[in-house]
Amino acid sequence: MLEVKNIKYSYNADYQALKGVSLKIEKGEMVALLGKNGAGKSTLFLHLNGIYRPDEGQVFIDGEELKYDKKSLLKFRQKVGIVFQNPDDQIFAPTVEEDVAFGPLNLGLPMEEVQDRVEEALARVGMSGFEKTAPHHLSGGQKKRVAIAGILAMKPEIMVLDEPTAGLDPQGVVDLSILLNELNEEGITIVISTHEVDLVPNYAEKVFVLVDGLLIAEGTPKEIFAKPEILEQANLKVPIVTDLFQQLEREGFDMNGDYPLTIDEAKEKFLDLLNKN
Amino acid sequence: MKFDMDYIAHHNALTETNPYFKLFLTILLLIVTLALDNLYFDVFMFIVMSIIILAVAKINYKSYLKFLSLPMAFLVITCIFLLLFFGKGEVIYETGILGIVVTTDSLHYAVYTFMRVLGCLPCLGFLALTTPIAKILNCLRNLKVPRIMIEIALLMYNTIFIFLNEIDTMQKAQDTRLGYHSYWTSFKSLGALVSTIFLRSLDKSETLQFALDSRGYNGELPVYEPRKKEN
Repeated sequence: MLEVKNIKYSYNADYQALKGVSLKIEKGEMVALLGKNGAGKSTLFLHLNGIYRPDEGQVFIDGEELKYDKKSLLKFRQKVGIVFQNPDDQIFAPTVEEDVAFGPLNLGLPMEEVQDRVEEALARVGMSGFEKTAPHHLSGGQKKRVAIAGILAMKPEIMVLDEPTAGLDPQGVVDLSILLNELNEEGITIVISTHEVDLVPNYAEKVFVLVDGLLIAEGTPKEIFAKPEILEQANLKVPIVTDLFQQLEREGFDMNGDYPLTIDEAKEKFLDLLNKN
Repeated sequence: MKFDMDYIAHHNALTETNPYFKLFLTILLLIVTLALDNLYFDVFMFIVMSIIILAVAKINYKSYLKFLSLPMAFLVITCIFLLLFFGKGEVIYETGILGIVVTTDSLHYAVYTFMRVLGCLPCLGFLALTTPIAKILNCLRNLKVPRIMIEIALLMYNTIFIFLNEIDTMQKAQDTRLGYHSYWTSFKSLGALVSTIFLRSLDKSETLQFALDSRGYNGELPVYEPRKKEN
């Protein structure tokens, strides 16, 4: 369980990026943090494993307060892994396997164990066989997978991904969301920041909306996407299928206030409407 | 054709050859070539090593020529300077401009420097073109070269590709907007490019630090020993 209590954080004393954010994410959940560019998503994420220290407020992991001494930081950074938006910022080693091994080695694990974890993590993300490859010879999607493997190898309880779909091609996005769903089913709590709303209902059980350093709403995707005023405030829009059905309603089809969010839901709804008429 | 030395180092017939062997052979040949200081041996080395690079490592001759061209340009310029401005002794040729002359001494310097470099270049090229940097660094680490040097080299090696990429993209962006249309705009564009790259590098280095810290970095890069392949 991850809990953030009233976090405030300023850059250079004159720009407050977080103005008192509180949120709670239960174990095993998969949640999305929505917000436009500059809303404070990345800043918030860097608080979750103690990279940034809040001016005010606390972070709790499994009910334990995050402390900022060396030993506690190592412990919490093992529990909460952050996958950075740009894999180039994260991958630094000359070969894929050395990069994936970096985290586990820092945890002080024996070499045997590290080797096992590297193999396992690379297999998990579908990158076995690339052990000796230089990262700059990989494609964007492959780099993303290596970056995720680097975090997986630390066996985190919570995985935080900053804009994971940014820069991926459509197939890459689909593959990634399948992978994240699988990881979630295996018990890892997953937090994703994004402003691409179309996929959110496919994976997120819960959505938080961040606007200008403040959390303005939380709820299921259904609840959030039914509130146009919140979406407008956050510079977001409803998923494209939802938009379609809202427009159909304006043409005189009754939706009973229930708009589909995913393709599957849309299909059911569409067949229903066809059968009715 | 784009010349990517790193790609060549990863994809040639000698990539998997023992890196220690290649490293020691290179160092040995360099020392021998420099110590013998014999013009015929220099030429011999140039030919032999070029044959090894082209025929044994099977590196494309165009890539090899590109590899040679840059240091060669420097070499020629250096030797011209040596020829004209160094050494004393008997004058053997007068250029007639500002009293610049070629002497026996300077001719000797220029020729020997040229041939030495010519002999050593393919030796170094043999290592650089056939061995991925990661392997060389690993060797050096095992040979007890100070950690800090290896860590800096390692981080530089990786960030340099991101850095070059960034420069390339920005330069193209400037070029599209005619940033290199005339001499004057070229200077201005280059200045803007350099200052932006500097600020962006600072930014990137901070993010890299965050990413390293996130995975428990404690100021020392740990060494991973891959499992030996079971055959």
